[in-house]
Amino acid sequence: MSSNTSQYKYVGTRPVRHDGLEKVTGKARFAADLNMTGQLHTAFVRCPHAHARVIAIDASKAAAMPGVKAIVTGEDFCELHPKHPEHDTAVNVMAREEALYNGHVVAAVAAVTSNQATAAAAAVEVQYEPLPAVLSIDEAIADGAPIANFSNRTYFSKDTEPSNLATINNYDRGDITTGFANADIIVEREFRTVAVHQGYIEPHACVADCGQDGKVTIWASSQGHFAVRQKTADVLGWSTDRIKVIPAEIGGGFGGKTTIYLEPIAVLLSQKAARPVKIVMTREEVLRATGPAPAAKIRAKLGANNDGELTTLAATLWFDNGSSKGFNAVVGVMSIASYKLPNLELHAIGTLSNTPRCAAYRAPSAPQVAFAIETLIDEIAQHLHIDPIELRLKNAVVEGDLTAMGAPHPKVGFVETLEAIKNSDHYNSPIPQGAGRGVASGFWMNIGEQSSATVNLNEDGTAAVVTGSPDIGGSRASMALMAAEELGLDVSRITPIVADTESVGFTDITEGSRATFATGMAVVNACRNLKTQLQQRAATMRGVEVDEVEWLDGAAHVPGHEPLAIAEITAQAKKTGGPLTATASLNAAGAGPSFAVHVADVAVDQETGVTTILRYTSAQDAGTAIHPSYVEGQMQGGSVQGIGWALNEEYIYSDKGILENASFLDYRIPVASDLPMIDAIIVEVPNPSHPYGVRGVGETGIVPPIPAVANAIADACGVRMTSLPMSPPKLLAKLNDRSTNGAS
Amino acid sequence: MAVVYLQADHRRFTGGAGVLEVAGNTVGELIDELEHRYPGLGVLLTDGASVAINGEITPNGKYEKVEPSTEVYFVAQVAGG
Repeated sequence: MSSNTSQYKYVGTRPVRHDGLEKVTGKARFAADLNMTGQLHTAFVRCPHAHARVIAIDASKAAAMPGVKAIVTGEDFCELHPKHPEHDTAVNVMAREEALYNGHVVAAVAAVTSNQATAAAAAVEVQYEPLPAVLSIDEAIADGAPIANFSNRTYFSKDTEPSNLATINNYDRGDITTGFANADIIVEREFRTVAVHQGYIEPHACVADCGQDGKVTIWASSQGHFAVRQKTADVLGWSTDRIKVIPAEIGGGFGGKTTIYLEPIAVLLSQKAARPVKIVMTREEVLRATGPAPAAKIRAKLGANNDGELTTLAATLWFDNGSSKGFNAVVGVMSIASYKLPNLELHAIGTLSNTPRCAAYRAPSAPQVAFAIETLIDEIAQHLHIDPIELRLKNAVVEGDLTAMGAPHPKVGFVETLEAIKNSDHYNSPIPQGAGRGVASGFWMNIGEQSSATVNLNEDGTAAVVTGSPDIGGSRASMALMAAEELGLDVSRITPIVADTESVGFTDITEGSRATFATGMAVVNACRNLKTQLQQRAATMRGVEVDEVEWLDGAAHVPGHEPLAIAEITAQAKKTGGPLTATASLNAAGAGPSFAVHVADVAVDQETGVTTILRYTSAQDAGTAIHPSYVEGQMQGGSVQGIGWALNEEYIYSDKGILENASFLDYRIPVASDLPMIDAIIVEVPNPSHPYGVRGVGETGIVPPIPAVANAIADACGVRMTSLPMSPPKLLAKLNDRSTNGAS
Repeated sequence: MAVVYLQADHRRFTGGAGVLEVAGNTVGELIDELEHRYPGLGVLLTDGASVAINGEITPNGKYEKVEPSTEVYFVAQVAGG
């Protein structure tokens, strides 16, 4: 690890995580762990078709069954205007007259026991009119295609008719015609990826308890409980003051818990039954009806000079948003930002299908795009006999270079990250005999957004750091470390807390790798306010002016006096002005993009098509690693998820649009025994906009694995894979095809 | 005057012009002026778009102050996972 943290006492250290003991002893409370007196259990009625009109729902028999206390259908929900920002969320939570995919909820039953709820749900009679279904990008854009969602209108279009196109965006610069005409080498391919799930271990869960005052308390697993409050309020047509959301521990999210599925249903059931209502999804429901990452089709053409300068890129990106519109295609364009590329022309088209509405997944859309671009770059390096790292170094963006969207980069560390891999033990070790090596890079822009923090000093000099950011990747430890550094207080004396929506200021979702960056800045600002207060209190205690007090190493220093430690000052707080507390809120600017470069060694069994990862190294620019173990964990986790996406994971639908692998038995995510240790090299090029240089590390790590593995497979056996997953049957077919035709 | 950089989709409204000098004290005033000059462009610059000032996404959107020679970019709004 290249380190700029040696200047700090706490930042850059690896203390035991604050939430670790509770998690390893089973004491941590997840949403499914909560049980309340009188609580009801829930079961759903889900559409058995890929697309259907809901003609009628008769719940009378179900309502009369033992234990049943409440039933809700689409008729219990308010109607949002089609242009309301949460219209599609509302429709996804509960179908109205049109069920958009297999598994779309059309009714929910709350009963005393789970078995009673399940039996009653089965007794709800729903009359459907099956409609033609759209199951792929090609079907969506085909002439005469059936409509996947009759409420969809193309974004920014003046069309009044329903369409399978969600978004159309175009970007260009330079002149691609001249660029390709002058290129010495041009490579062009079409790439395909399929929908994949985030694979979080904890299914969605919540408990809602409506009071007689018309208000509700919700315990929920999410990446943002303020967003749960806002989205639930919008879907129900309620004001936010009627809803309090208490964040439970979260067992993985990876972007998939930035939206809601359950909470409005739980609230309405609780309101009808006047009892608490608990909903816990099954794994099958998670896979069948929550949002995966989108399938994509990318046609890309890349030109370069003989000296390896990339000059021209033309690409069309189709992204399948699932049942309602999203911005997956245009976000894919935004991820094209790693190379200088003076000429480019990009078309981004978002389509709809009768599959679950897509959700975010770590660096949304960037892995699919990287698969295409990084594969083409590898081919150019191969043709020109240039080392793939050297080729990337020749074209790597630096501060001031433009992204595909046209805005210049701030200070970035792509070159430093490439050099970290170039100088790594892995890259300088021989490739195992018969194996192949691939490299690839990835980019994610990271975001700022709104955060709040309160820091309370206790009477004994310990502290509580209170934020509104659910901790999905170690943010509590990061907050405590930054507070420790600011206050000069040992990190073990600081308790980081994620507070509910009524106990801390508004905070946006933990997404976009923003929590340690943005919420961390709020914590730092609050601590700096507290330091000013501590100096004032020390001045009072010593009988001097405040400007005579200096704050050093967690104590107030006054010339001629013994230093006053925090605990000595807080012990006298009652006599010097009262409790010591500070709050800060901000809308963070200056998010720092993060680059990653991965190298993979793989072996391909040419008789079975099985790819084995032999060695894998990830380098990533963290800006500053506040807690290096967590940063390494993010890099390793992103690598593993990307490898799973590359090699095995896929939603498999029947020709009727029914998901056929809705379990972890059949949906194959990697397990520990599938992989070697993922080596992590933390690069630190500090973000000048953050007091400690943080960039955010949660997402970039999933971007390079797909092309790194694909390039390694090509190196190992000469087969260029352009379709995911690169699973044994598909790779074996390509190998056999090569044997038959003598070409890859 | 501020310098506004427009994407291909925006340039449909401007007759192909991609770099424009626009008068205004805030991003909102720039958008109003652009909408005045090129009816229909304003909604593309406000709905689903983020604003980058001199290369950095601003959280203040239309309220961000601009000065003569400030470079203003409109890019897609992105969240993350």
